[in-house]
Amino acid sequence: MSADTRQFCDLAHQLVTESRRSTATDTLFKYNDPLVRSIIREQRGLETIVDNALAQSEDETPPASVFIHQTAILRNKRCLLAYHQHRLNFLKNLYWSMGGALPPLLSSPNIRANLSPSEVDFLREYNAMVMDFRGDFSDELDIASSVTIPPKDIHVLVRVVKDCGVIQTELGSIDFQRGQRFMVRRADIEHLIVQGYLEEVQS
Amino acid sequence: MNIDNDVIPGLFADPTQLPKESDLQELLRLWQNERHAPEILPSNGELLSRVLDQIRRQSDDANALRRDANLSEEEHYMTMLVQTEVERVKFIIRSYIRTRLFKIEQFARHMTNDPEIQARLSQAELTHARRYTALVEKQFTTSVLGHLPDTQRGLDDDVPTLPNMVTEPDKDRPVFIHARQACGPVQLPDGSGFEIANDSIHLMRYHTIEQLLARGEVELV
Repeated sequence: MSADTRQFCDLAHQLVTESRRSTATDTLFKYNDPLVRSIIREQRGLETIVDNALAQSEDETPPASVFIHQTAILRNKRCLLAYHQHRLNFLKNLYWSMGGALPPLLSSPNIRANLSPSEVDFLREYNAMVMDFRGDFSDELDIASSVTIPPKDIHVLVRVVKDCGVIQTELGSIDFQRGQRFMVRRADIEHLIVQGYLEEVQS
Repeated sequence: MNIDNDVIPGLFADPTQLPKESDLQELLRLWQNERHAPEILPSNGELLSRVLDQIRRQSDDANALRRDANLSEEEHYMTMLVQTEVERVKFIIRSYIRTRLFKIEQFARHMTNDPEIQARLSQAELTHARRYTALVEKQFTTSVLGHLPDTQRGLDDDVPTLPNMVTEPDKDRPVFIHARQACGPVQLPDGSGFEIANDSIHLMRYHTIEQLLARGEVELV
């Protein structure tokens, strides 16, 4: 689309469509920095137009065009914020689905490449906040464990999918190596299932 | 150690103690209400810490018993039951706390402006709400607002033609209620009154039964 035929807010619409697509496919797309920048440029342009129109109008009533431009400004701004809010929510969901562990999230190349630098900062600070909150309960329970399926058994049969080294359990320390199976207490290794090291074997 | 009298209430609850509710039943209702309500409900820190204390005692006892080599088959089975129950109660508490956390983050901005809602949060939750609001605001400023002209930087523009910028709970949402006693009358949207019979189940808008829920006359199911 050439620049002359473009309407105000077209770009912002593209941005929101991207968020919708991200929800529909449950994928995190790369942070669209160029698009965000062009919308911000459009915003500055609009602001100048409004300022000029207001300065030129002699009487008390501003020209009608100001209303259109002002509406475009507000709409662009809401779209920008919606896009960023949507991404933050997506990242938070990812974070919790990893059992509240930041390193696997940041070290995964697929995810890391799609984040903007300020989003990485956000995750770090969010992680610190959640850790503080979790600290209040850490004596009795870890609030970051799974909340989808209530436990029916205290023991669980697991298969090791990824090596995860020696882990302390109630039976002493166990060296989990890929391919092995163990019958262990769920509470001891719950976090390893969530983080994808172990897999529950359905009998 | 007498395991029968010391287990999580509800598992081997003494029938003579009825109709007083056990902590576990109260916790279950608290959790269910929180899961179904669109807004955050008052927290019950006292109940929560009581149950957490019980859990800790239970698991300590169970661990001590399991190390006892002279444990009979029956006693061994009992400790297993207790441990399973402890894990299940932990699940409920976890789910309860996470539900609240989700709502707090969703409505963080709304909460930091409203002292009446702040009274429903525990100290830790309130701190979290404030920090989260600040964090999101900082995030918006670095990525968007900081690059816009000064006049466009507000996060609470009040424009009559646009929806409010501060997300608020949707109190129009319908919820299923179960009456724990005869109560009402409530005012239906068409203006007529409606008496809710004891033990009946209805589907109503949340704001219609908000007060009944706060008084504990109905529960959400």
